[in-house]
Amino acid sequence: MSNQPRLNSLGLHFSPLDLLLRGILADPHLRSRYEIYFPQTTGPTMALMHSHHPPEDCQNCEHRHLRMFCNLTPEALADYDGIGIMMSHARGAKLFTEGDPARNVFVICYGQVKISSTSRDGKTMILKIAGPGDVMGLSAVLANVPHEVTAEAIEPCQVKTVRKQEFVDFLGRHGIASMHAAQALSGEYLTVFHDAKRLALSGSAAGRLARLLLDWGRTSANGKPEIKFTMALTHEEIANMAGTSRETVTRLLNQFRRDQWITIKGTSLTIVKPDQLERLTA
Amino acid sequence: MEAEERSVRMGSVAAHPLAELLECPADAGNLLNGSAKALEVAAGDVVFRQDDICKGLYVVVSGLFLRKAERLKTRLTLGPARIGDLVELAAALGDGHHTYTLSAQSSGSLLLLSIEALNKVFENYPPLRMRLLEELAREVSRGYLSCCLNRTVHTRRRAGGVEPA
Repeated sequence: MSNQPRLNSLGLHFSPLDLLLRGILADPHLRSRYEIYFPQTTGPTMALMHSHHPPEDCQNCEHRHLRMFCNLTPEALADYDGIGIMMSHARGAKLFTEGDPARNVFVICYGQVKISSTSRDGKTMILKIAGPGDVMGLSAVLANVPHEVTAEAIEPCQVKTVRKQEFVDFLGRHGIASMHAAQALSGEYLTVFHDAKRLALSGSAAGRLARLLLDWGRTSANGKPEIKFTMALTHEEIANMAGTSRETVTRLLNQFRRDQWITIKGTSLTIVKPDQLERLTA
Repeated sequence: MEAEERSVRMGSVAAHPLAELLECPADAGNLLNGSAKALEVAAGDVVFRQDDICKGLYVVVSGLFLRKAERLKTRLTLGPARIGDLVELAAALGDGHHTYTLSAQSSGSLLLLSIEALNKVFENYPPLRMRLLEELAREVSRGYLSCCLNRTVHTRRRAGGVEPA
């Protein structure tokens, strides 16, 4: 990790005084152990990323083979390692907001990020939950338009943040990176339509919630017979994805549980009778 | 006001003209032209299927086509492809597999620019790849805008078992 914080180059707001007060900039030992980030929207709070988290350099990341974008050729990977910075974000930190100029591309290393859009009357629709390997802000950066959506960390996460021009130049230098970017864009495209369809076409709230649970379950099961996943969202957030109210989500989940279609243990949800949920979505 | 805003935002991500997108030096242009193959289709014909290997980039010359996708057990209609549209940028630039199914709504014709020729041109003239990637990004942005900007989520509410009029 570089000892020189490069946050200024991203145009992020942070207070050097805060850094000095915490004695981190002043101490080369601490400086080498921590990456510092002040989220734009949460004021002077600070998220610290300890050096025992996954490696800072992408070349030594053991997870990259499993991830779509960063699974690059050695040459492209070495180049990718040299651009952008690794940042840690606390839960609730906004990475970018709908309508903001798109200045950076974000690649999630670990953690989950909520991608949402808010209507004029204040209704929020959660479009997807982005996870490790997902690229955010790509369409806005390449299309040269403001961000179409808002990205907010729903758990502590680590994100590689690359400036727009740096990223565009990187894509220009490496065909494989362009290919992965195209794959990321096509995935985004289908997600948008899929979510719009879920909201627009499923007649009942029960149908929309059932579709959501089945999607998450099947994606997580990845072909395994047991349909089980970890529910990282609150009932309020699930309601924003299903286009209904928090109360309805709570009532329906209880109903599904009473009917023994699902079981819930802590944050783990298992779909016991997928056929029953499937019927609701018809 | 909202319609005006929508129009401005959609305008900013409108598809660029084909001639501008495929503009390249003469030798690269000749390579693309040389590889181009005309395809005639009848109404109901499937031009390509989701997950099949992509043979290249398609340009709609005449007729009306419909793009449909399947994800998990859900079928999606992504919308029509019209004359002058570049079809399947995602597959041609991505992993080479079609991301949706294209079928003809009416009889028509398409031009197929082979993937081999495209890759050769990308090597000799990288700006073309970048330009097409930007066009794909605009397509995704249009998707976001059409789905999010003016969306209305109607949650049906029943009163005494009677559907609202």
